[in-house]
Amino acid sequence: MVNTSWADDQSEEVLNVPMVVSDQDGVKVIVEYKINDDGRKVKITRKIKTKTVQEKVNKSVAERKKWAKFGEEKDQPAGPNSSTASVTEQVFLKLSQWGEEKAEEEDASLKESLASRQILCRLCQGNHFTAKCPYKDKLGTIQEITAAAQLPAKDGSAASAATSPMMPGVGGEKKRAYIPPHLRDGGSKLKSPEPSRGGRDEYPTIRLTNLSEDTKEPDVQALCRPFGPLARVFLAKHYQTGVCKGYAFVSYYSSENAEAAIKKLNGYGYDSLILGAEWSSSDKK
Amino acid sequence: MRPILLKGHTRPITQIKYNREGDLLFTVAKDMVVNAWYAHNGERLGTFDGHKGSVWSIAVDSSSTLLATGSADNTAKIWRIRDGKCLETLEFNAAVRKVEFSTDDKYLSVMLDNHMGQKSEIFVYRVVRSGSGSSEVYRMVRPNVAEHGRATVQAWAYYNKYIIVGHVDGTVCQYEFSPSDQQQSGSLKLLKSKKIHNDEITDLQFSADRSYFITSSKDKTANLVDVETLDILKIYKSDTSLNTAALVAKKDYIVVGGGQAASEVTTTGARQGKFEARFFHMIFEHEIGRVKGHFGPINTLSVEPNGLGYSSGGEDGFVRIHYFDDDYFGYKYDY
Repeated sequence: MVNTSWADDQSEEVLNVPMVVSDQDGVKVIVEYKINDDGRKVKITRKIKTKTVQEKVNKSVAERKKWAKFGEEKDQPAGPNSSTASVTEQVFLKLSQWGEEKAEEEDASLKESLASRQILCRLCQGNHFTAKCPYKDKLGTIQEITAAAQLPAKDGSAASAATSPMMPGVGGEKKRAYIPPHLRDGGSKLKSPEPSRGGRDEYPTIRLTNLSEDTKEPDVQALCRPFGPLARVFLAKHYQTGVCKGYAFVSYYSSENAEAAIKKLNGYGYDSLILGAEWSSSDKK
Repeated sequence: MRPILLKGHTRPITQIKYNREGDLLFTVAKDMVVNAWYAHNGERLGTFDGHKGSVWSIAVDSSSTLLATGSADNTAKIWRIRDGKCLETLEFNAAVRKVEFSTDDKYLSVMLDNHMGQKSEIFVYRVVRSGSGSSEVYRMVRPNVAEHGRATVQAWAYYNKYIIVGHVDGTVCQYEFSPSDQQQSGSLKLLKSKKIHNDEITDLQFSADRSYFITSSKDKTANLVDVETLDILKIYKSDTSLNTAALVAKKDYIVVGGGQAASEVTTTGARQGKFEARFFHMIFEHEIGRVKGHFGPINTLSVEPNGLGYSSGGEDGFVRIHYFDDDYFGYKYDY
């Protein structure tokens, strides 16, 4: 095979003639070995698929394609000349019902809001960025000293009022150590009895145990409905087989109804099993 | 899409035109060069050399044999496209602003600029071809059309029935063209005129059936106008002065181009630019998309006759050939 590229001609390290294998469905595989700049032997496999696409064009168009060039292009070779034609970077035409007006409006409103936002220096409260504060060296060190002095003083409300009348929070925050969210505000959130159960436990809930495997949700509903309106019924099922796991949670709207249900259903014989009914653990009263 | 950038001109592009099949693109600019390109790959077919001034306008006949150009050197030339030979040179006493072949290629209308107190005029020539594509021309009519100020654009309506002329004050005039029996002379008679824009009309392009046309104006709007009544059918509003407007083939879209004049770019506010080509839905008058690319105002747009793409020529001296992506053809306007 003839090397068509001058770059290939120069390197004499072509170990062997490229091996060309054409397989069915027109894919040509060219395998060659070369020694690269690091002196290592590399195998280069190229797969080339050629596909002939036939396109029908107007007869006159086909004829015009054969025209000889003229004027400044006279005697130039066929094909586009890189000095007069080039392919540019990608541009996009995204057609949409509302055009780009909306995006622009948003852009404008964003700019407006940014323009109206005040820039405030943390050190001297001037109308510039903190980094550009002319008093950065003086005020910055003063603040560090006062902040250090405050630390031993317990909570030091008097001291902080005296030294940081500037930005309440912002100046001190960079000195403070990290506190996990659940420990903030004196760990008050930790003590809250029901940490975010999404409001589902607002309703009094009872737990039914020792249900039979054949129990379905409508069965539980029919069982519990006589005691009052139900807020929610949850029947624990095996996630693959859908067989009841033997227990269920039932929420009532009122605790009296729930209590009546517990009284009646605890020890009730249902489907040849003795049911257990009690307050669900988080609902102990 | 990746546009093909044509660098055949060194000064602002004044007009570009596809031939009827859309395989050739002709471009003229203020640098006296007339170029012919293969539209599919940007290969330059050749140049038509001979003008000694800015070339303002170009027209190609429907069989792609003859090319007409109008220039600021007070001449219009007719060329043979195949080999770039100049067949005729028509001399005038003012710059030629627009040239246009009639729908059946029989006539060529040449519109002159206002010059040294001379009013805009339109000359209609009869083009006679012999076998090898050469031509003779006969001058037929020469009316004065400067009633509404300088004439800026002109085009032929269907069956050569009318010539529509646009003026600097935003008026369009409808002239009835009637050749004599011997076809050696003819007349242009003013039938109607209507003010449809508040500022200069910058471009006028006809629909495929030539029953309506689109105008662009410096008053930041483009109008779709009926050729018989000159009624405004649709108005497309933009936020910049428009230099050109074109109807997209095969789809109900129009495309407009413009931008602030190059001399005003530095004197205006923060949001400069607006050098995009904007697509509007022809019927709902909504803007539906934009294409960026030019570094200056778009001076001229031409739409590929098969609806596969469009080309734009800018004040920056570049011509960009665009072929639409697949999602363009898949897009459906939801109404």
